[in-house]
Amino acid sequence: MERYELIVVGAGPAGLSAAIEAAKAGMKTVVFDENAKPGGQLFKQIHKFFGSKEHKAKIRGYNIGETLLREAETCGVEVVLNATVAGVYEGRELTVMQGDSIKHFKGDSIVVATGASENMVTFPGWTLPGVIGAGAAQTMMNLHGIKPGSRVLMLGTGNVGLVVSYQLLQAGCEVVALVDASKKIGGYGVHAAKVARTGVPFYLSHTIVAVHGEDCVKGVTIGEVDAAWQVIPGSEKTFDVDTVCLAVGLSPMAQLVKSAGCEMNGIVPAVDAYGATSVPGIYAAGDVSGIEEASSAMIEGRIAGAAAAYQAGYLEKSDFESIVTAHEASLGSLREGMFGPKQRGRVQTVTEEGIVLSQSLLTKGYLDESDLAHFPSIQHGKTGVYPVIECTQNIPCNPCQDACVKGCILIGNDITSLPVINAEATCTGCGMCVASCSGQAIFLVEEKPLESTAYVSFPYEFLPLPEKGDRGIALDRSGAPICDAEITAVRTGKAMDQTHVVTMKVPLDYASTARFFRRR
Amino acid sequence: MQQSEVLIIGGGVIGCATAYYLSKRGLSVTVIEKKQIGEGGSSRNGGGVRQSGRDPRELPIAMYAVEHLWPSLSDELEMDVEYYKKGNLRLAKTDAHLKILQGLTDRATALGLDVRMIGADEVKAINPYLSDEVIGASWCPTDGHANPMLTTLAYYRKARRQGVRFITGESAQRIVKQKGRAVAVVTDYDTYYAERILVAAGFESNDLLASVGLFVPMNRILLEALVTEAQPKMFEQMLGTAEADFYGHQSTHGSFVFGGSSGIDAYTSDFDRPVTQGMTAPSICRGIMGYFPVLADAKIVRTWAGWIDECADHVPVISNVDEVPGLTVACAFTGHGFGISPAVGQILTSLMTNETPMVNIDALRYDRFKAKI
Amino acid sequence: MNGRIDRSIDLGPYVAAPDDGMIICRCEEVTKGEIRRAVHDGMFTITEIRRYLRTGMGLCQGQTCARLVKQIVAKELDVSPDVLEDAVARAPFRPVPMRVLANEAEGRTR
Repeated sequence: MERYELIVVGAGPAGLSAAIEAAKAGMKTVVFDENAKPGGQLFKQIHKFFGSKEHKAKIRGYNIGETLLREAETCGVEVVLNATVAGVYEGRELTVMQGDSIKHFKGDSIVVATGASENMVTFPGWTLPGVIGAGAAQTMMNLHGIKPGSRVLMLGTGNVGLVVSYQLLQAGCEVVALVDASKKIGGYGVHAAKVARTGVPFYLSHTIVAVHGEDCVKGVTIGEVDAAWQVIPGSEKTFDVDTVCLAVGLSPMAQLVKSAGCEMNGIVPAVDAYGATSVPGIYAAGDVSGIEEASSAMIEGRIAGAAAAYQAGYLEKSDFESIVTAHEASLGSLREGMFGPKQRGRVQTVTEEGIVLSQSLLTKGYLDESDLAHFPSIQHGKTGVYPVIECTQNIPCNPCQDACVKGCILIGNDITSLPVINAEATCTGCGMCVASCSGQAIFLVEEKPLESTAYVSFPYEFLPLPEKGDRGIALDRSGAPICDAEITAVRTGKAMDQTHVVTMKVPLDYASTARFFRRR
Repeated sequence: MQQSEVLIIGGGVIGCATAYYLSKRGLSVTVIEKKQIGEGGSSRNGGGVRQSGRDPRELPIAMYAVEHLWPSLSDELEMDVEYYKKGNLRLAKTDAHLKILQGLTDRATALGLDVRMIGADEVKAINPYLSDEVIGASWCPTDGHANPMLTTLAYYRKARRQGVRFITGESAQRIVKQKGRAVAVVTDYDTYYAERILVAAGFESNDLLASVGLFVPMNRILLEALVTEAQPKMFEQMLGTAEADFYGHQSTHGSFVFGGSSGIDAYTSDFDRPVTQGMTAPSICRGIMGYFPVLADAKIVRTWAGWIDECADHVPVISNVDEVPGLTVACAFTGHGFGISPAVGQILTSLMTNETPMVNIDALRYDRFKAKI
Repeated sequence: MNGRIDRSIDLGPYVAAPDDGMIICRCEEVTKGEIRRAVHDGMFTITEIRRYLRTGMGLCQGQTCARLVKQIVAKELDVSPDVLEDAVARAPFRPVPMRVLANEAEGRTR
């Protein structure tokens, strides 16, 4: 029997954060993870995170993972990989499968950070090879460098469905459609918009009728659903695909807490403000205690780690309280906004500022031209280069404010406020705001009435990069081709962290509609 | 207030089987179960349908069940209970083991059971997968195994179809005695009146019996079992060892179900729920591999624990209660109730319909426990 | 534990549905129709369904199908899935070969 003061199960964002906080305070800490690589889902997250600086906003997930791992190492956390926790027993005993043997461990405290697994939905053909979870597609692409398929249909428009669709496009797959039985897109509008402008159609109020194929996926039929979720006859559409991705939610992997006898609250363990379960010494943090973002998981982990350290006498009460207070404030701000838990299930029609929300964004994935005038940050007809910020929903995110050294962009203290353009400041067209926006929602426009042209700069995360002088077609927000375009600049730099800023020249009339570029 | 001819407390295999046989006779029956159907030992045991190794006091019940009830049970209940009458091997690796087995065999033979000692060659002929270290075994060709979960649910299903009223999630609190007779049971929900009341609630029977001043001397003992993923069909016998390292069989599904103990798992600190212990499954695995090296790569998919209601003298109480007319008790099965459950269901039916049971059960009376000096 | 259930409640007749043949538990190949039929046979709890049909008893231990089975059972019983208690989680949380489980690297003490 080997003993540790703290055993953490799961080396994802929550687990590593808990271990770091506890080890920093002086606890002898070990983290077990069944995978060959640490980081949980973080290393699959190649997109930039939302939030503010303290939440590591505008940093890509895998970079956050690297930072966490280095911090864990510095604090003396032992991270044991390929170590599968097989059982939990009385007295906080864990059995861990490592190689060809089983080892027994006891922890004064245990933090369970086992994460979640993907939900499945059933339809004829759901067991065919080629029907996969969106997370599985992400693992194939971003961890193993394997394209999951060539032509993909995505079911689910939550953030996972939207982000993975974008990553599929980045990997060179064709995404034929994004489908959701709900009437409205579940994830952030900015995530939807960056997919929509590449030309991917959204089918809301639609569901999968059947997946076709004998031995593998050969096609999929979707249909529109009525108010009773029944498919409306005659509404069926069939797509030729080899892959169907399911992004229909996650379920906590709660076997360990259940087996330990922790009181459950439905599918999650009942926990207090510090993540403590009903079993003394056992904590839960991250998705296992309720599905949220990695940013929240990291904070929950920090709090649970601090709580374990306080229990073990490694933190003074006052130190513990100040750590918790800071983290709780940070967690609170992440949970604000129209996608926060408080708003779940509520129908929202206006922003916190009282601006009518774009219904087009919620149903088609892009802003309609009629929406633009409502949002003061979506400017047009200005002299010189100016930013256009197509950020129209209250989400907790503010890196754009700091990105502009000229102070053009203001969000204020309320992290979910929509960005406002500071009329006093002058845009230099540096493009840092474009690269800093995790939602890829900022554009720079320069109108040249005398030349009858406009220059539109937009974020670009695909390879190969266009080159100056490339000619092609400008696409509007829906991905529809609208006019000829010529690339006039491609800006890239370390600070932009692979969000390249591409500038295209289009006829003046298209200054407020041209938002993406496709080669001929 | 509720009313039926018979009220059964406990929805395990004994309660369900008895409900089935009573309702087949046309009696109205209500079954009250605190948790769910087959929650306790009925769903957690190793599935043995053995006669060999039984105490002489209950051996006749086992022999009756194997001869008259098990072979036709799937047909009777219209559901495959996965019964195999393919024999029981009790294995020996040492002379000391052989000596233990010889003693058991001699006692059973004296009571008319077909069980005998066999040598290594015959053991290998019956089961070629066994380790070469096995030097002999006791062999009872009429023993076997069945699926305890399906058996319990099959009795429940058929009894329910015959009109038995089952209520789960309701806890019996006390027995009501009026004019000297047990007439009803008060639950946390209602009061249930009946002409006859059967308490078949495992270890927890004592909680209820206490209300009429009865006590069955039994302990709760934790025992574990495990199951592998499905394997190719290998053998159909029930297995055990002289030293009780493990016991078990291969199921119809192909998985191997093995029970066993680390020797110290009876000492647990959690009496709220039967929990497994970290050292038990490894111990059972070593036991199995000592006899079946071929199973070393089979994956264990599940382990579980269950309580045995272990009687002071290791055989059950199956009895009407003379002092409390109307009350019948069946508990303290000591971990070997499943194999005899069809016969017990019929015996209890006889007891509650004032008939003489087909097997003499005088040795299993509730009032048999005496001080040793 | 699921609350009080009178097993004699009338569920109405079992009506075959066009998607009854759809596999729900992939590990043990149990169909939707079998699960629906089991409810009509009196299996009203997730654990009873498991023991009756082996749903969730395969290699994945129900991580994939538990939610799906619950939805089907709840619909058949005309209750919310939330009132149905999940089956107990049992070690090992991942399948472990017998030779590995038998091979304890540390001392066998409690």
